[in-house]
Amino acid sequence: MIEGLLDQFRRGDRQALSRLLSLASYGEIPIASLSGLPGPAKKCRVIAITGSGGVGKSTLIGKLISIIRREHQTVAVLACDPRSPLTGGALLGDRFRMVSAPREDDGIFIRSLAASPGYGAVAENLAPMIQLLKSFAFDTVIIETVGAGQGDTAVRDLADVVVLLLQPEMGDELQWEKAGLLEVADIVVIHKADLPGAEETATQIQNILGLSMKVSPKVIQVSSKSGHGLDELWRAIQTGSSSH
Amino acid sequence: MDNRRPIRIVLAKVGLDGHDRGIKVVARALRDAGMEVIYAGLWQTPEAVVRTVADEDAAWLGLSLLSGAHMTLVPRVLELLKKANLNHVGVLVGGIIPEEDIPKLQQMGVARVFGPGTSMAEIVTFLHDWANKSGAVHD
Repeated sequence: MIEGLLDQFRRGDRQALSRLLSLASYGEIPIASLSGLPGPAKKCRVIAITGSGGVGKSTLIGKLISIIRREHQTVAVLACDPRSPLTGGALLGDRFRMVSAPREDDGIFIRSLAASPGYGAVAENLAPMIQLLKSFAFDTVIIETVGAGQGDTAVRDLADVVVLLLQPEMGDELQWEKAGLLEVADIVVIHKADLPGAEETATQIQNILGLSMKVSPKVIQVSSKSGHGLDELWRAIQTGSSSH
Repeated sequence: MDNRRPIRIVLAKVGLDGHDRGIKVVARALRDAGMEVIYAGLWQTPEAVVRTVADEDAAWLGLSLLSGAHMTLVPRVLELLKKANLNHVGVLVGGIIPEEDIPKLQQMGVARVFGPGTSMAEIVTFLHDWANKSGAVHD
């Protein structure tokens, strides 16, 4: 069955892609079995968008999708939401928030995924799924993590660029000294920058990051509401690559 | 049913109908019953809903209509599903649907219509029974 689907996939059948992504998510497509697929046509960039629940990841992705489409590039999103540890159920609502994107557009593919607790804020088996999307020749693949906590750094290994979203008034200066998510970010976005306190948060983060030995990530203030900083962020994503 | 393959269902409202309390209650109940609910929300076009079902590889689509436009919008969705080769997708309709329209909708291919007063357990049981009957809905 998988062979047949892979044949359809090679012919550019979007439904075969969709079915293969499901099988991959169940762990039924080992990444080695995808070695025969065509490589990405151009350089495909994998971008991870992470940060706490409510910080605006889906909304920001919706804005990025608009920019990407404006530049006539294609984009696939793997949007993770938490799976209940009690029932195994999940309410996958990220797609709904990416509303600024016209949803009949062939240049946009969005798959919602349930992430089990204990996998570092992403769904299982993302690697073969990313491989499939790359091979389908999407220009950009965006991974949206579950609302991520301080220790959820697993996404680092999957993405070329990790964008961490923070918002004003999230914590005192000592908070940012703690190890974890901040260390694996290539770009730190102070989101909801239209709210008071954005400047102070940006300055705090910059000061903390400046103390490390390695190349420090860019800190960009972005407001999805007003559109401020979005183009700067997209430029930074395109030029930035992993310093890790 | 295999735990690794929960039922995936897209819930959406098509057309200009802003009443989403009901569909959100259903979304929550199906989530609590262990399903993966893809909530597509308000003001969807039939085209967008079908695209969502295709890209999400969902086995079910639940449409909620309280606007009276069900005899226009539901056939349109069914037609687009067929055109997209998504005949295996089961379609449920909920909301305010007059008695006399229910057989018509079912004739067109709607699996079940759930009206006001339906218990959440009824919807969950319906979906679980179906999944047990047909094994994995997809294969």
